Amino acid sequence: MFLELTEEQKLIQETARNFARSELEPLAAKLDREGDRPAFLANLKKLAELGFMGLNVQGEYGGSEAGVVAFSVAMTEIARACASTAVTVSVNNMVCEVIQAVGSQEQKEKYIPRICSGAYAAGSFALTETGAGSDPAGMTTTAVLDGDSWVLNGSKIFITSAPYAGVFVVWAVTDREAPKGKGISCFLVEQGTPGLVIGKQEEKTGQHASATNELVFDNCRIPKDALMGKLNDGFRIAVAELGGGRIGIGSLALGVGLAAMDYATRYSTERVQFGQKISSFQAIQWKIADSYTELEAARLLLMNAAFRKESGRPFAKEASMAKLYATEAANRACYNAVQMLGGYGYTADFPVERYARDVRITSIYEGTSEIQRVIIAREILKNIS
Amino acid sequence: MKILVCIKQVPDMESRFRPNGEKTWYDESDLAFRMNEYDEYAVEQAVQLKEQLGGEPEITVLSIGPERTVEAIKKALAMGGDRAVHIRDDRYYQKDPWQIASMIASYAKGEAFDLIFTGMQSQDRGSAQVGVIVAELLGLSCATTLVGFSYDGGTITVKRELEGGIKGVAKLKLPALVTCQLGLNTPRYPTLPNIMKAKKKEIASLTPAELSGEAELTATAAIYPPAKKGGGLVLEGDIGVQVDRLMGILKEKTAVLR
Repeated sequence: MFLELTEEQKLIQETARNFARSELEPLAAKLDREGDRPAFLANLKKLAELGFMGLNVQGEYGGSEAGVVAFSVAMTEIARACASTAVTVSVNNMVCEVIQAVGSQEQKEKYIPRICSGAYAAGSFALTETGAGSDPAGMTTTAVLDGDSWVLNGSKIFITSAPYAGVFVVWAVTDREAPKGKGISCFLVEQGTPGLVIGKQEEKTGQHASATNELVFDNCRIPKDALMGKLNDGFRIAVAELGGGRIGIGSLALGVGLAAMDYATRYSTERVQFGQKISSFQAIQWKIADSYTELEAARLLLMNAAFRKESGRPFAKEASMAKLYATEAANRACYNAVQMLGGYGYTADFPVERYARDVRITSIYEGTSEIQRVIIAREILKNIS
Repeated sequence: MKILVCIKQVPDMESRFRPNGEKTWYDESDLAFRMNEYDEYAVEQAVQLKEQLGGEPEITVLSIGPERTVEAIKKALAMGGDRAVHIRDDRYYQKDPWQIASMIASYAKGEAFDLIFTGMQSQDRGSAQVGVIVAELLGLSCATTLVGFSYDGGTITVKRELEGGIKGVAKLKLPALVTCQLGLNTPRYPTLPNIMKAKKKEIASLTPAELSGEAELTATAAIYPPAKKGGGLVLEGDIGVQVDRLMGILKEKTAVLR
């Protein structure tokens, strides 16, 4: 048993940390409050040039071939500074990986290098619909073959990076008669395709710099070869790829939780009440102890899931466990951090209120905590009955 | 052109330092290590020169230290070094600058480097001696504390930071050794693909015994944390008296009013 990062993983962690501290952190509060999309996109471009958009992607497509553990530690470091940037990087990596896993040679050569190099600011993963959130197989967007094209109709919601994504991975029903989940296919739709409408941008609680939009497909016509993977195999593809995304989001949550606790802990050694530093009170010490213990457990769960994926072993259960635990532990850490700062923690003069808002979504997107529990239980029970 | 860059791995400067069991160095067991900041300027300048010359120069990175030092070496390779020499020495911290410089000079003697870059000093020991001693041992021209560097046709022009904020400009013919100071350049982030590719670059391994048997000229007698300071100086009394006393202190102990 060897619980140590390799030299390469440590160097990637160091690069991510240094970049996050000098380029992302100084901008994070401004992005949250006022927004500055050019600055946000400029940092994404720099991250792409450093190789952060395709950590687990082959070099021939412009990826870094650094693996899943490196992806996890990089996500955590980026999220410590800016969760909005981190979620964009996480989704970009997931889009690259899904194209690499099931795309045709032409699709891989066309799209992955554009995301990895930053030619595309982002890629989007368009699965969720108003009536199909935790139950994605219940989607109603359709794709109908018409001559040499597929014609898409319907809408998607909560699509990360939609206004500035170069390409969308879109799921749609291709066989309405098939049993649930057996008639869905996966497509690649380029930004600017006629009939693809970028809809309303959501006003979210946190992660403000990362755009989250509705997508509308209004007789959106795409080439026949925009189908990705096998016809009617799309749902299986989505389920498989979401596992990797969960490692990304768990790692992101860990970063936000650590940022909150690091800030609050330092604050507690300076803030004086009743004539002493509040870190001398057991009530504060227990918050520090509980949160760091939980965040460390989250880190180990994430490392385990990442290591399993990197080793080519099944990792769906481990990724769900890590995502469930890390996001909930990070939510508790942010709650504790606000509590430790008291009223100041509720003001925009201190960063912990931003962490608390940014972290809230992590136990919802990429599969809610409730869905993670369904997956974990199903994985355990299927080996018994 | 053959370039040598000497680097050291040092603890993260945000670490809490404690003396080790022998009380002659700091306890390394719970520290995270990085490349010495000044050495990053050295690596960056070497790589910029290589780029200026169309990639012709070969950059060798040298470091002395235990197994963990390989991480810093790989960073230098990921930033653009071509090959590396690791002098494996678990007891490196017991060696004084003379011994460290003697090992480097012994290695470099047979290699005919045209230009050697080092950091101005290490962030942990901070002797600022190793570079200049290597230059002396090899009979090279030497310029220290560089904040500017340019190369043209076998001559380098350097801007040096001198005491009291004064800068000096010097021209040196190669072969030469220079030591690099904060402000010389902004070290690049190593890209992830380059970090992964650095794995495949050669890291030759040498032992101290193969290089130099020089005895130390200075020995560390003891290392200890500074005594805890009191809570500063609190000025009291009438506001006019306080201002006069503050002015006096600023004049005597600082340069702000000069």
